[in-house]
Amino acid sequence: MNMRHINKLVTTRLQAALLGSVLLFGLSCTKKFEQTNTDKNSIATVSPATLPFLFAHAADVATVNAGNYQVAQNLFADQYAQYFACEATYFASDRLFLNQAWVGANFNPYYTDVLPQLQTLFANTDSSSAEHALAEIVWVLAFQKATDYWGPIPYFSIGTVSPSVAYDPQDKIYDDFFKRLTAAVAVLTPLAGTTSIYSSYDQIYGGKVSKWIKFANTLRLRCALRISKVDPARAKTEAEAAVAAGVMTTSPGDDALILRSSVGGDNNGLSIMSDWNEFRMSATMASVLKGYQDPRIVDYFLPTATSADPTPGIFANYSGLRNGLSVDQLGVKPNLAANNSHQGSRWASTSVTVGGTIVGTATYASTPQNVIETAEAYFLRAEGSLLGWNMGSLTTQQLYEAGITNSMAQWGITGAAVTSYISSTNTPVAPGDGLSSPAVSNVPIAWSTDPAVELQQIMTQKWLGLFPDGMEAWADWRRSHVMKLYPVVNVDSRSLVTDPTTMWVRRIPFLDSEKQTNGPAVTAAASLLGGADNELTPLWWDKN
Amino acid sequence: MIRQKLHLLLFLLLCSCIAFAQERTITGKITDETTKAPLAGATVIIKGTKKATTTDADGNFSIKAPENKVMLIVTSIGYASKEFSAAAGAGALAITLGADTKQLGEVVVTALGITRQSKTLVYAAQSVPTNQLTEVRSTDNFLGSLSGKVANVVINQGSGGLGSGAQIILRGNRSIQGSSTALIVVDGVPINNNTYSAAGNDFGSVQSSDGASNINPDDIESMTVLRGASAAALYGSEAGNGVLVIATKRGHKGRSEAIVNSGIGFEKPFATPDFQNSYGQGNGGLIAADSSQTGSSWGAKMTGQSYTDYLYNKATYSSQKDNVKDFFRTGLSLNNSVGISAGSDKVQSYFSYTNNYAKGIIRNNDLNRHNINFRISNQISSKLSTDAKVTYIASNINGRPRTGEENSPVFDAYEMPRSVSTAQARNYQAPNSLGVMAPTNWPSTQNSIYQNPYWMLNNTSIGEARTRVIGFASVKYLLTSWLSVRGSFNLDRTSDQIEEKYQQGTLLWNTNAGGSYGLTNLVSTNKWADLILEGNNQLTKDLKISYHAGTIYQDKVYNQTIASSNGLFVANKFSLSFGSNPSTTQLGTEVVTQSVFGQANLSWRDAIFLDASLRNDWDSRLPSPYHYNYPSIGASAILSELIKGMPKAISFLKVSANYAQVGNGGQFGVTNAAYNYVQGAGNGSIARSTILNIPGLKPELVKSYEFGLETRFINDRVGFAATYYKSNSTNQLLKIGLPVGTGYSQQYINAGNIENHGVELTISASPIKTTDLTWDIAVNLSLNRNKVITLSPYLKQTALGGADNRSALPVVQEGGAFGDLYAFQWARNAKGQHIVNADGTPATSAALGYIGNYNPKEVVGMTNTFQYKKFSMRVLIDGRIGGILVSGTEMNLSFSGITKGTEKFREGGLNLGGVDASGAAVSQTITAQKFWQTASGLRYGTGEFYAYNATSLRVRELSIGYDIPVANTHIIKSMRFSAVARNLFWIYRGKSILDIPGLGKRKMWMDPDVANGNGLFQGTEYGAIPSTRTLGFNLKVIF
Repeated sequence: MNMRHINKLVTTRLQAALLGSVLLFGLSCTKKFEQTNTDKNSIATVSPATLPFLFAHAADVATVNAGNYQVAQNLFADQYAQYFACEATYFASDRLFLNQAWVGANFNPYYTDVLPQLQTLFANTDSSSAEHALAEIVWVLAFQKATDYWGPIPYFSIGTVSPSVAYDPQDKIYDDFFKRLTAAVAVLTPLAGTTSIYSSYDQIYGGKVSKWIKFANTLRLRCALRISKVDPARAKTEAEAAVAAGVMTTSPGDDALILRSSVGGDNNGLSIMSDWNEFRMSATMASVLKGYQDPRIVDYFLPTATSADPTPGIFANYSGLRNGLSVDQLGVKPNLAANNSHQGSRWASTSVTVGGTIVGTATYASTPQNVIETAEAYFLRAEGSLLGWNMGSLTTQQLYEAGITNSMAQWGITGAAVTSYISSTNTPVAPGDGLSSPAVSNVPIAWSTDPAVELQQIMTQKWLGLFPDGMEAWADWRRSHVMKLYPVVNVDSRSLVTDPTTMWVRRIPFLDSEKQTNGPAVTAAASLLGGADNELTPLWWDKN
Repeated sequence: MIRQKLHLLLFLLLCSCIAFAQERTITGKITDETTKAPLAGATVIIKGTKKATTTDADGNFSIKAPENKVMLIVTSIGYASKEFSAAAGAGALAITLGADTKQLGEVVVTALGITRQSKTLVYAAQSVPTNQLTEVRSTDNFLGSLSGKVANVVINQGSGGLGSGAQIILRGNRSIQGSSTALIVVDGVPINNNTYSAAGNDFGSVQSSDGASNINPDDIESMTVLRGASAAALYGSEAGNGVLVIATKRGHKGRSEAIVNSGIGFEKPFATPDFQNSYGQGNGGLIAADSSQTGSSWGAKMTGQSYTDYLYNKATYSSQKDNVKDFFRTGLSLNNSVGISAGSDKVQSYFSYTNNYAKGIIRNNDLNRHNINFRISNQISSKLSTDAKVTYIASNINGRPRTGEENSPVFDAYEMPRSVSTAQARNYQAPNSLGVMAPTNWPSTQNSIYQNPYWMLNNTSIGEARTRVIGFASVKYLLTSWLSVRGSFNLDRTSDQIEEKYQQGTLLWNTNAGGSYGLTNLVSTNKWADLILEGNNQLTKDLKISYHAGTIYQDKVYNQTIASSNGLFVANKFSLSFGSNPSTTQLGTEVVTQSVFGQANLSWRDAIFLDASLRNDWDSRLPSPYHYNYPSIGASAILSELIKGMPKAISFLKVSANYAQVGNGGQFGVTNAAYNYVQGAGNGSIARSTILNIPGLKPELVKSYEFGLETRFINDRVGFAATYYKSNSTNQLLKIGLPVGTGYSQQYINAGNIENHGVELTISASPIKTTDLTWDIAVNLSLNRNKVITLSPYLKQTALGGADNRSALPVVQEGGAFGDLYAFQWARNAKGQHIVNADGTPATSAALGYIGNYNPKEVVGMTNTFQYKKFSMRVLIDGRIGGILVSGTEMNLSFSGITKGTEKFREGGLNLGGVDASGAAVSQTITAQKFWQTASGLRYGTGEFYAYNATSLRVRELSIGYDIPVANTHIIKSMRFSAVARNLFWIYRGKSILDIPGLGKRKMWMDPDVANGNGLFQGTEYGAIPSTRTLGFNLKVIF
């Protein structure tokens, strides 16, 4: 083939190509664009096969997952409940500075990661189905955590795209909680024998409806006690109905724990703070656990890293620090992380050592995470019983002691250790912390005959039994204000608390991010507070 | 409608052919006077007429001329222009051109590889002499060598050591959630310049390589920087941020040549924190009772006391002023390249091989890169030619350090107590009972995050292996003498494998037993095909037109697979097979754009020029009907040719103006809803995306105009060019917050209007121009002002990453400027007095406040070049004026008493001169420890105390060269030896912005060119790897 042929061939081809390309653009060039722009690594719409995954996600986030746990709970409720005190100089939140960049983790995820999945489930399941009912229970679990931080929250008009979403008053929200839980239990009761709702996608009960019924009733009982001061009549009605319908009775069988896998960051929420060394046992915990010679200390905390003897249970080897220490105080030897107790071994990695011996657990990140436990149901009933409500056949003392027994059982402690504990007259002791604090209270374990002490006993044991659920413990403390806590030692200059012996954080001020994105609704919400939008204004149910 | 318009345009272009008169034809060949190489693209003008032509690939030209004697003016990029007389009836002319040291390059390569005389351009274009790119190099990124050489360029080098990504900003930032970095075009096609990973906050990250870091300066034939969007309307969506147009070398007819270039460089850290060397480990002025428990350097004055160290050994408590210096090593870089070109009439080829080997200043960080490049051009017939190139790059980077606060080796090194010796620190591990290495005790300032730096150095590693193929094949066919068509296909395929290993015992990055391992595979494939019709016609005696019309098809596919396991069954057995928590995720995007465009340049008497272009894109990211279009128009006039009787001193005077739009299709996949899989217990879960999709996505639009004035005096001895520009970026694809009650945290919207305007001046002068001695000066001066005119009806402020408020937060705020920095401040009362707490410590503002903007207000660069016989010297001084930089490093270190600033008032007595809430003076004094620990808080501090005015000026480059004489007959044609230096010394550095009573202001210690990452998060430095001072030698031999 000579050059002329090539030229001719090329010319013809080029001309054809040119013509072809013009035609191409004029006609069908965008045919595949839709497909090109579709993400092959995500799903555009949900189907019946993918619905159970949505339930799994809602439950994962409603129970505070690892990604949110530190900023949602550790840095706020866990410190306010004085389960832990902060070792880090740079987290002023233990000195009551409310870092708005963090606390949104107990608000935003319920709306962005629980709400959409549950609303999709509501829309795609029959309202008389168990699937629908389980979704309702998870809904209450999530939004109770939100409303108990802030009070009024967006609630009745959520889930619709709009430039503004209204906030609703807390009393109306609690009313809705009761309605949803009641309806859920009504749907579930005839299906109590079913054991396969969402089955392997239900990481709490594996689809066992009978357990979910107890869970819903316990949650309803919790809500009832929460409003016991502000609306005693409704509280009584709801509490008695909940107990009659069957709350949790047996630990560990009824306990709700959500499985974590440690894969892809799906860790036990509390475990994530293991290696950061930013939190240690609070002096309050030290005072109570050491004073009571409480066997749960072995599960809750570890001997200090500098203890020579790693054997658990030697009370002298456990130490806690006060909440709200200053930068200077945190630098003093007794307050250093190494000299205070790390969270228990089930939440501790293998890099955690005591006296040089590894005391952590290789599978610490996948330790099942506490959601609601049986002990709480007994303490709620004990408190209701003190109020004169019909909390079943057991006496107040029996309920109190069953609460302790079940709390112990939850951590595997049974037998003589428990019975002798229940009869012990031990009281909290001076924790031996860096500030030489006195004992936090003088409440004994053994059931008192003095009604004034009884409530303190119930609330103190409940506080111990709720561990590590600082959210519930802080809410309880604000509501009842019976359990004694130490005042925080120092208050950040940015806090409105001026006297920590008489003032405390009552709520979290509305989020800066909400003020930016939902401004008018936040402004309107302030009128629902009955006070200024700050941390000193009590919530609707907080009558202290 | 648009398509019809374009078709009409195409039609008009095709029809515009006019015959012209016959005269005699002058032919000739133009070559380089030193290398004798033919010069392609040189311009030949008949003086006194408006006739001009350009040389072909072998330097040949032919031009119609009147029968009588004429003068020819010959110009070529990088060469001094010359005049030759061509007598009547003269034969073929042999013309040689000598190199021009001036930077007013006459011919530039513009969009789509089109070569144009710079005087005909209607927009600002600036060439960078290629010898300046190969002599003094930056081992981090090629982009670093543009600093100071181009007006209005800001380079932010990401802190990742060798081969890491950099950000190049021309004329200011404009994109809030996309990229403001300039487009890089090689041989007519944009290259993939993605950065996989960069710090988006001051906690830190790994700065990965970008695409630009693979550019081999040895292969560059010419480089032009088109600063405006106007210059780039033909590149489509990504060109709104300006364009770097790079043409690579090719073979030439009748010229065989081999260039060997070898360089060696030695590197040292250029800017490290100022440390105090008086006080050692301890607290409150005392040696710690238990040294294992404190990492602070608030101890006693170090006088050689005996004490028990943190490993419980007897040791001497003495100043270890070199412990950080010892941590770094002298870096070494070797650059060897050979480029061979040869060509016959039919075939021309260019082959090159370059090897870069570098050892970074961080131990274990090294780079080995091979770059093989082959280009072949064929003249198949007089009408048909082909050109093809393939470049293969294989690069291995080992031991890339993490950057930022997060247990990164550099930060860990800075945190060493001032009394800890290098020998002590090197005792960083010991075997445990199973023989697995475990960290030995370390006095960290935060023992949950910062570890012994030698552990991080030796027991963690991040490696990046890249193979990349870039190639093109193009065919050009001359349809007629005035019309040709060319088509090309280009491929840029980059494949990266990133391997991360963290031994058991590493803080933060390995939380489960056994260690952690990650393997990431990234593949991006960019395809580009175009078909372009190009032509030119003499419409009338005075009026010429040249035009291009064509179509472009682009397909960019990106896929990423991350496999990792946090936890290994056998300790430190780094294989996924041993993973105890294996996890895999996959991501991918694809974008297809198809375009048609037309462009025409009218030229009247070679003195008035008019440019216009129109482009229409069909973009897969947009909703149906997918398309949008954007025009550009511009004009320029050479007044010195138009106006008779202009003063003799003015040798050239040109004015220009243009207006352009550039669109951008936005982002992949944002028009659709998405439910994503989340790994977890059981079967995992599925969650709806928390960002609301935007079904009605609109294209982003950058509108810009510019006015230029260019003039030269006294036979071009002095030159001056000024440009004023203004650009508005509108319709930006923003992610803005939604009330979360909607079920979404954010939504995509199209909104915003970000304005940049500014002035650029380039001045050149040749104060001395004799046979033996020349002195040339080139100055670049620019200022950019940015304003956020609107953001959105709902959103008035958005953060540019880093929401944790550690040191400072860069934001975009309506009414403000891009990159405004917010930080906690020293609280002030209404009168502006600083507030001090009762205990004498400074009070912190309740909220973040504005402390400045991170962008420089002005950027300056000055190159002085001296040539004395065979010797030459070039000095580049450059810097930035204005801008704020917050040092998170210093914030953190000052908490622990490590920085120089913490030395004073250790015994107390510091009174901050502030007032209390009532306005009364506070007399309470405090110690340095109290002050700095309050200001710092360690990790989340009052950023204002650590904010610096980033104004700085330095000797950026120095090269001293000698042209070694070689005999004409020798096989070696030329030889040049040079000694080079980079980042030689500071001429000026700014100070901290707060004048703290008693403590004063501190001089900025860090290099403002180094950023934690090359993304939008700028303005803070936190544990960044220091920039380097390089001293080196270079030998270039041409055979």
